[in-house]
Parts: sequence; structure tokens; C-alpha cells
Amino acid sequence: MLQIQNLHAGYGKVEVLHDISFSVPKGQVVSLIGSNGAGKTTTMRAISGMLKPSSGCITLNGRAIAGLPSNRIAQAGLAHSPEGRRVFSTLSVTDNLLLGAFPRLTFGREKGDVTGDLARVFELFPRLKEREHQLAGTLSGGEQQMLAMGRALMLNPDVLLLDEPSMGLAPLLVKEVFRIIGELKKRGITMLLVEQFAAAALEVADYAYVLENGRISVHGPAEQLRNDPAVKAAYLGAAH
Amino acid sequence: MDVFIQLVVSGIALGMIYALIAFGYQLTFATSGTLNFGQGEALMLGALVGLTLVGHMSYWLMLPLVLVFGALQGVVVERVGVRPAIKTKSEFGWIMTTISLAIIFKNVAENIWGHDDIPFPSPLPTEPLQFFGIRVLPMEIMVVVGALAIMLAVEIFNRKSIYGKAVVATSNDRDAAGLMGINTSMVITFSYALSSMTAAFAGVLVAPLTLTGATMGVSLGLKAFAVAIIGGLNSGLGVIVGGLILGIAETTTGYYLSTGYKDVPGLVLLLLVLSIKPAGIFGKSVIKKV
Repeated sequence: MLQIQNLHAGYGKVEVLHDISFSVPKGQVVSLIGSNGAGKTTTMRAISGMLKPSSGCITLNGRAIAGLPSNRIAQAGLAHSPEGRRVFSTLSVTDNLLLGAFPRLTFGREKGDVTGDLARVFELFPRLKEREHQLAGTLSGGEQQMLAMGRALMLNPDVLLLDEPSMGLAPLLVKEVFRIIGELKKRGITMLLVEQFAAAALEVADYAYVLENGRISVHGPAEQLRNDPAVKAAYLGAAH
Repeated sequence: MDVFIQLVVSGIALGMIYALIAFGYQLTFATSGTLNFGQGEALMLGALVGLTLVGHMSYWLMLPLVLVFGALQGVVVERVGVRPAIKTKSEFGWIMTTISLAIIFKNVAENIWGHDDIPFPSPLPTEPLQFFGIRVLPMEIMVVVGALAIMLAVEIFNRKSIYGKAVVATSNDRDAAGLMGINTSMVITFSYALSSMTAAFAGVLVAPLTLTGATMGVSLGLKAFAVAIIGGLNSGLGVIVGGLILGIAETTTGYYLSTGYKDVPGLVLLLLVLSIKPAGIFGKSVIKKV
């Protein structure tokens, strides 16, 4: 479904990603874990076109998307819920969600049942339904995260990129976010998940890659990484 | 007192013209963080193209053609002057390019239409109407109605249509808007088209009240910039209030003090606003969240 081959990317002259290759098969949840500054967010940004890769090949459903502007990549079926949520603060919750379906509403992508999908997103996130007319900027951090995820789902994406969905949230909300990711997985949504909470990410993921200084150091089925002593020591910590 | 009310009424029409041009500054600033310093020249070109067209057709048929011309002129400014600066992430390049284009447009206009100011035929009767002893030109009423109508139309478009919401989303967060599948470069081009279109519209609205000529845009564009700063670059209401304050300050100063000083109060106000509330009277100061 989503394939990344020999990806190099960075900011200006500083290269952050050195030769990254991995793939996200259809219907699976793949997780990228690693410490701060390992290049997780940069990888996500390079895939969705927020950042132009310096070289490498990215294909979505067999179609080359590396270097395309982000709006074309979204039209091709890739949704990205970015780090820091980035909701449209002066627009209402409903408008934010409708903008997630922008390509579907403007002939950029098959329309399908936008109204039905909106109802389904509200079903998944009842708090958003309660606040549908409220401006996104007035929501709490947790609600904004729900909105960012709901907005990405409104594309009806082939692949969903979730970057740090639990960042800055209270422990109870972190649990809720992971419950929802589990629910999306049950619905068969293909996901690439970047998380600081490596343990929780490895619970929900099918397969995982560990990023270290812009390179993939270890990869394997999530189950196997959970029991890998090196991964345990570096990312899971004694508390887990 | 009657004189004062008369001056206020005249100031309102002038103020709405400032408000309309200032509104154009806001449109491009919202989407791209850049301004077209040639707004005054867009107004002048609109008025002069309108003047030429009106020799061959009615004012009402000329209007939509001038709007189209204005929009195309805005596209040229964005493509030639602004886009390269945005692309290279040049922080100030667009200031120089839009000023350069403004000078070029003024020179071209001087060569086509000459250096002298030309009267613009009024589409409405030039006899003032009397309301309780206050004289109002029909054209002044049209300025106010026309300016409010176009601002309202843009507001409704932004609130109701998915394309308008895409414009607002781009103003909120350009990168995130791109992730939604919105072509944000096109949104910026569109905002320039809309901005120059409102300026051209302001040109044909104001021309019958003043005179038309290649230099008519210079001081209008500058004063409208002051209005945009006074009102706040992100407040629609602010430019109307700012425009009216400046317009009325001008007509009253012109009468009570001297026409030689009519520009002073507005600019003093600008200096005051910048020292007390730099984001403008109605402006929201931007707080960058991490």
C-alpha cells in the first residue's frame, strides 16, 4: 500500500533521514518508534509532502508520490494528522471536519458518502458532536486531538498517518486515544503511527520500526520487538 | 452643527473607499502574510480602464469588465512579484517587487492615459439629494452600498462555501491546509485576484467623485494602508471603523483647520495606534503557540 525506499530528507543542508526504507501493508498498523530527534516526524512530513524529500522513492498504491505537493498527495488518498494537531482555530468543529473531506467535496477524489462519514466521525468522537458549532481554537487539547484525527478520517484515506496523537495529553486521554486507534484498526484502516509511548504503540501495532539518528536500527513484528531486550532497555523502560 | 453633520456625511463616502482598499490589503495578508503595495495602482488602473470602456458602453456594463480586469491584474502581481518571493521564503522580497510593479503600472498608465487628471462621467445624477438639509450625492450613497456589498459577499463566500472555508483554513495554517488537499498556492493567487478586484471596484466607485489619472492611486493606497494598520490587518470590522475615522477626520480638518492639514490627523492617529496598540484597534495580536 505505502512503500518508502531509500528516503533521504532534511532541512536545508542538514540531512535528518539517511536512507530509510519501510512499508505499510494494507489493513495493517505500522509504528515508528524512537527517541526525540530520531527523525520520526521528519519521516511523516516527507511522506505527506509537507517536506520535500531530497531523494528516494515513495509509492502509494503503486503510484509515485515523492516530491508532490501535499495537496496532491492528500488527493491520492493519504491523510496526515500532524504533530501538534494543527486544527483550524477560527473555524467550527464541523467546518474543520468538512475540510478534511475537501478533495471529496471538490471533485479531487471520489465523493462517496460525506454526510454519512461525518456522522460516523461524530459517533467515534461523541465529544466533537457536543461541540460541533464551537470554534476549534476553544477546544481542550484532548478535544483538538480528536478533531485532528476525525478530520484526517474525513478524507476516507487509503493510509492514515498519525503523528504523536498522545502528545501533551493527560494519562486518561492517552488511553482513550489508543482505544480509538484500536477501534480504527478493527475497521481495517491502514495506519502509520508515530509515538513516544512506545509500549502502547507496540500493543496496537502489527509491525514496528525503530528509528535511531535518522536510520532504521531494528524492525520486526510488534510482538517480537516488545520482547527484544535492547528495545526494552532503550524505549520501553523498567516501568513497563 | 449642520456643517459638521455635512462634513461627517462626506467623510463617510471617502472613508468607505479607504475601507475597501484596506480590505484588499487584508485579503492577501490573511492567506500569504504578504501585502500588495500596489493596491493604489490597482485602483488607478481599474478607474482608467473603466474610463476607456465607459466611452463605448454603459457604466453598468463596464463594471463587470473592470472587475475581471482587476482580478487578472492581481493574478499577474502574484505570479510575477509575490510567488517567487514566497517560494524562496524571502521575508521581504515581496515588498520590493510589489512596489516595483506599482511604479511600472503607474508609468504605463501615464504613457497610455497621459499625465493630466480626467473627469469620469457619473452614472447617477450629479444633483445632490437633500435629507433634513444635508446634501448627499447619489454617487456617495453608491460608494457606501457598493463597498459594503462586496465586503459582505466575500464574508458570505468565506463562511458558507467549502472553497471559502478553504481560504480561511489557508489563513489559519497554510501547511495544515495543504494536508487537507487544498492547493494553497492557488488560494494565494485567488486572494490576490480578489484583492485587486476590490481595488479596481473602488477605483470605478470613487472616480466619478474625484478625478481619474495615473497618480490618483498613490495617496489613496497609502492612506488605505494606514487604515489597515489602524483597524488591524486581520479585522474586517476594523477597516470599516478605521476608514470612517480617517475619512471623517480628513473632511473635518479640511474645513475647520485647513485643507493643507487634512492628511495630518489620520497619520497622527496611525502613529498613536502603533505606539499604543500595534496590532490595530480591532486587531488580535498573534500569539505563536509551540
